[in-house]
Amino acid sequence: MTESIGEPVGSDRSSGRRGRPALAGVAVLALAACSGDVTASDDDPEPAASLTLYTCLSDESIQPVIEAFETREDGGTVELFRAPTGELNARVAADARSGGLRADVIWGCDPLTVQAFVDQDLVGGWTPPGAEGIPEDLRTEDYVGAHVLYMVVVHRTEVPSPQAWSDLAGGDYDALAVPDPTVAASALGTLGWFAAEPGYGIDFYRDLQGNGAVQVSTPDDVTTGVAQGIYDAGITTANSAYAAKDDGSPVDVVWPEPGAVAIYGPVALATHSADSDVAKSFVAFVVSEEGQSVLGASGAYPSLPGVEGPAVPDGAPVVSPDWAAIGADKDAILGEYQQLFGG
Amino acid sequence: MPAVAPTGARGAATAAIGTVVGALVVLPLLRLLQVLWQESGGDLARVLGSADLGAAARNSVVLASAVTLAAVPIGVATALVLRRPDLPGRAFWRVAVLVPVVVPDFVLGYSWTQAYARAGFTDSTLGLHWAGLLGPVGVWLVLVVNAVPLVYLVAVGGLAARAEPDAERAARVSGASGRTVLVTVTLPLLLPAVAAASVLVFVLTLGTFAIPQVLGAPAGFDTVTTRIYADLSIGGDPASFLEAIALAVLLVLGTAACVAPADALLGPRLRSARPADPQAAQALPGRPAARRVQAAVLAGYLAVTTALPLAALVLASFTRALGVPPTPGNWGLDHFRQVLTPRTAEALGRSVGLAVVAASLLVLLGALVAVRERRRSGRVAGTLITLTLVLPGTTLAVALLITYGRWLSGTLTLILLAYLAKLWAFAHRPIAGALDRLPPDELRAARASGAGALTAVRTVALRPLAPALLGAWLVCFLTALHEVTMSSLLYGPGSETLAVIVLNSQELGRIGPTAALSVLLSLLVAVPASLLWAAVHRLRSRDGGPPALGIPEVARAG
Amino acid sequence: MPAEPALEITGLVVEYDGTTALRGVSLSVAPGEVLALLGPSGSGKSTLLHAVAGFLVPRAGTVRLGGRTVVGDVPSVPPERRDLAVVFQNYALWPHLSAVDTVAYPVRRRGAGRARARAEARELLGLLRIAHLADRRPAELSGGEQQRVGLGRALARRPSLYLFDEPTAHLDTHVRTVFLEELVARQRDSGAAALYATHDAEEALGLADRVALLRDGHLLQVGTPQQVYGEPVDLFAARLTGPASVIDAPAGTGRLLVRPGWARLGGPLEGRLRTVRFRGPHSDHLLDTPLGEVLIREPGPPVHEIGTCTSWALVHGWPIAS
Repeated sequence: MTESIGEPVGSDRSSGRRGRPALAGVAVLALAACSGDVTASDDDPEPAASLTLYTCLSDESIQPVIEAFETREDGGTVELFRAPTGELNARVAADARSGGLRADVIWGCDPLTVQAFVDQDLVGGWTPPGAEGIPEDLRTEDYVGAHVLYMVVVHRTEVPSPQAWSDLAGGDYDALAVPDPTVAASALGTLGWFAAEPGYGIDFYRDLQGNGAVQVSTPDDVTTGVAQGIYDAGITTANSAYAAKDDGSPVDVVWPEPGAVAIYGPVALATHSADSDVAKSFVAFVVSEEGQSVLGASGAYPSLPGVEGPAVPDGAPVVSPDWAAIGADKDAILGEYQQLFGG
Repeated sequence: MPAVAPTGARGAATAAIGTVVGALVVLPLLRLLQVLWQESGGDLARVLGSADLGAAARNSVVLASAVTLAAVPIGVATALVLRRPDLPGRAFWRVAVLVPVVVPDFVLGYSWTQAYARAGFTDSTLGLHWAGLLGPVGVWLVLVVNAVPLVYLVAVGGLAARAEPDAERAARVSGASGRTVLVTVTLPLLLPAVAAASVLVFVLTLGTFAIPQVLGAPAGFDTVTTRIYADLSIGGDPASFLEAIALAVLLVLGTAACVAPADALLGPRLRSARPADPQAAQALPGRPAARRVQAAVLAGYLAVTTALPLAALVLASFTRALGVPPTPGNWGLDHFRQVLTPRTAEALGRSVGLAVVAASLLVLLGALVAVRERRRSGRVAGTLITLTLVLPGTTLAVALLITYGRWLSGTLTLILLAYLAKLWAFAHRPIAGALDRLPPDELRAARASGAGALTAVRTVALRPLAPALLGAWLVCFLTALHEVTMSSLLYGPGSETLAVIVLNSQELGRIGPTAALSVLLSLLVAVPASLLWAAVHRLRSRDGGPPALGIPEVARAG
Repeated sequence: MPAEPALEITGLVVEYDGTTALRGVSLSVAPGEVLALLGPSGSGKSTLLHAVAGFLVPRAGTVRLGGRTVVGDVPSVPPERRDLAVVFQNYALWPHLSAVDTVAYPVRRRGAGRARARAEARELLGLLRIAHLADRRPAELSGGEQQRVGLGRALARRPSLYLFDEPTAHLDTHVRTVFLEELVARQRDSGAAALYATHDAEEALGLADRVALLRDGHLLQVGTPQQVYGEPVDLFAARLTGPASVIDAPAGTGRLLVRPGWARLGGPLEGRLRTVRFRGPHSDHLLDTPLGEVLIREPGPPVHEIGTCTSWALVHGWPIAS
């Protein structure tokens, strides 16, 4: 009879459970309280100007830039939201539908995405001083390229090194990996460049496929697969390839002829922040020589010529896709491509 | 629930559930629909028509069905095998079976490739590799392995709470062999748990993304979720965004179409009205040879599906780089050093705290809906919360942002709400599978002895439900801990979780730090988990006494 | 030539979790005989039944059913192949089966087809006078009705030995009486033996041919109901089998067991009436005497007042060691 109530046996856990809803409630409130502005605890006497930055640039690169900016005279606090392009897009889209974009500056990783933001009137309409230093094919009226991703070839050390892109279709390789243009804008840019380049076209991909090429999702998946040894070679970003090589993976990097495809990452001012001085000075800083050297030192390729950055082999060729054309013909290009690599 | 609570309290409970369901599920879904309707101008056909849906949708459904059909029998069989007290190494197996849950989704696919793909472990040692791993069959298999522990936990909860201790003995002594008892008595009693597990696995697989992405892409195997991801990745433009939303809504509607009728029809039929018995069914003794075979099969299964990939993961965490042979010369703690920065520690702390709070709240919410399932309102709630489970993380996060972003953007609270919305069904279904009916007389005895309604439930009904509650808590905790998609989208300065660190290192193409993080996470989980297990074990042995009788039974007789 | 006993247990030892539940129990049940197992909670009654049924494997000892060894030198025979049936304390009905399907279950296991099994089941239900409940599920039946279904299921097995594990423990008093009558009638009809575990002395004494007393896992005494009631082997056995008063023997020769009917009011001995309880057919008078407390049962309502001096006489006593 004493069993049925069971108090003494279960009591230590039971009392914990009774306290749990209350405890959980307190925890939720505590969470709500301690999230949000941690940076506001600086001991600056006057209210610090601040700006919100959305970017898909890697952590290693954006942190030094922010630090350098925050110590400047015309600097201010930077509230950072850093996420892969997909999440970034989703965040911007959600913002736009719930009271407006919360970023003052957007620093993207490819022109197509930022152009789309411009088309929605979310960013653009302002050119920072110093933009003329950036090469013309790396900027437009609404945004300026601040860093560059180069699409190169990464290959296992035991296979022959391709000198030109066409060598990949040459038959020396058992398994190849290419990134998915419907997932990665860098892959789309590369596709767009090949499509427009005489001597290549979509047929280049057809030849690749005939030689055992497989499509994976992102350039980083390409690097991982090649480093693991699943594939012999693949198309990926220079940053990713060199990172693997420096770690010690048995891979090598080639900047093939006629050139590594340059995907530039534009920085743009939000239209609703047109009167935010600190936001403007941030954009100006980013494309200035000082900002670009900080960027270069951190491991990202700067867009400003003459600034020191990560290794570019001597005389390495570089090519740039026609982004406007790609943007306009995207569906046609993808349509043809997807007949090869499925969709 | 028997008429223990006065109508006022019951009404309040219904209102409470209704509000939370409305806030977490209905409102965000409606906002998504609103966005879809407004921006497509009502022309949904155009939005969906442009997406080449046929193959992807078919793949998603076939995959979900195939995974369910495989994972549920394996999980139930494992639960039945592991309740035999005379199984060799039983205590070890009961922990080992749960290990796949400890490995996060985003590294599981990778660890399998390290183990079985070209140039992987088996390739370099035995010259064998499985080309099919990178394709639909590989996706299916890894998803099955991922789902089995979930089914196992649900089945264990069901066995503990709903099995009659003497029902199987009565069947045996009526002339039924062990196998016949299984088919005619045990499995029918387990039916609610099986149904709950099936729905859970099916819906989960529909909405799963990481594994199909990593293992399916090379073979061109597309699912609706990889499509959604692609749309959001490439589309700064509204058209892609809209397509992503439309696909997600399609997933939700498809799920509702399957789950709602199942819940409505099967739900009442699956509940028997027997009160839950506090004694777990003790299995009858069997032949030692059969037990050894079962143990061997279990060992083989776990070795291939869990041990090897796990070993690959651990090796990757301290091998200097990808592609170098994992020999001691190439070992180093660089990845761990890289990962153990103050920033990571902070993010880790936040993730763990968030996961603990989320899991605790989730068990409460899940139990609330499970208890209310006697009435239609509860069943509707049960179906509704399954819908947010199927929503891919990105879409759910977007929905929540659109609904609450104005006030909660970038806060930990919003991330918590996202976890609650997504994982509610995770907590609800297993508990529902275990809950039969709260024992009315024992509850009345408690009330008559001076206990309030809540105390009565706590002291009388919790014990038979404890395994199910604990299992649900564990799964919710681990899933919340490993969650990257939603937190990476919803965070703000000062509320970064692990997601930020993980995705960053992955994007740089470095698996090493991600593997190191996963290992650290697993250790972080293993320590409190083993403490909890020891505590539960001590509780059970204090409670149950000798297996065949149990002191409670004898006391009741006396 | 005497027939083989329906059940023969020799030296049965059962252990679990470090405690010994049965310590070398030996007993036998003749065909057609009802042996009651009487003992308090924890004495090992259920354990013994479980060992006989095959729900657990004993540490040592042998069990023979109708001459066939099921536990001992041979590999333990599983329950489904032992010629016995069990009626459980908690009814142990299957929630998903109706009454007729539950009773038909053992018949189907013997190989009968569905229709034939159900027909036989309906007959049995009719015999037990619950034919009108054939299609109901356990949730729709009262305790007494459920236990009848349990009994029907055991009958359907047509065994040579029935094991009853405190089947009336959860039944109301009057339901219990009816059920017991039914049970005894069916068992006698079938000619099978029965092992009946209970903690209720009246029940055991009333329906058994012999009674076995269990204490802490070993047999204290085995005998006819009259023997265990009238000549218990020690004080514990005496208390187990009925109301027991223990007094110093008037002749000074030790202690005596006095059952309620072995003393009467009015006589040479002195006593003071402490309490009296009217039970209906009789009244129980508790007397304080120089020899000890004595419980005297007299038919009819109480005639004396509490606290008054009452004389009494000892008709019979049984010497008992403390």
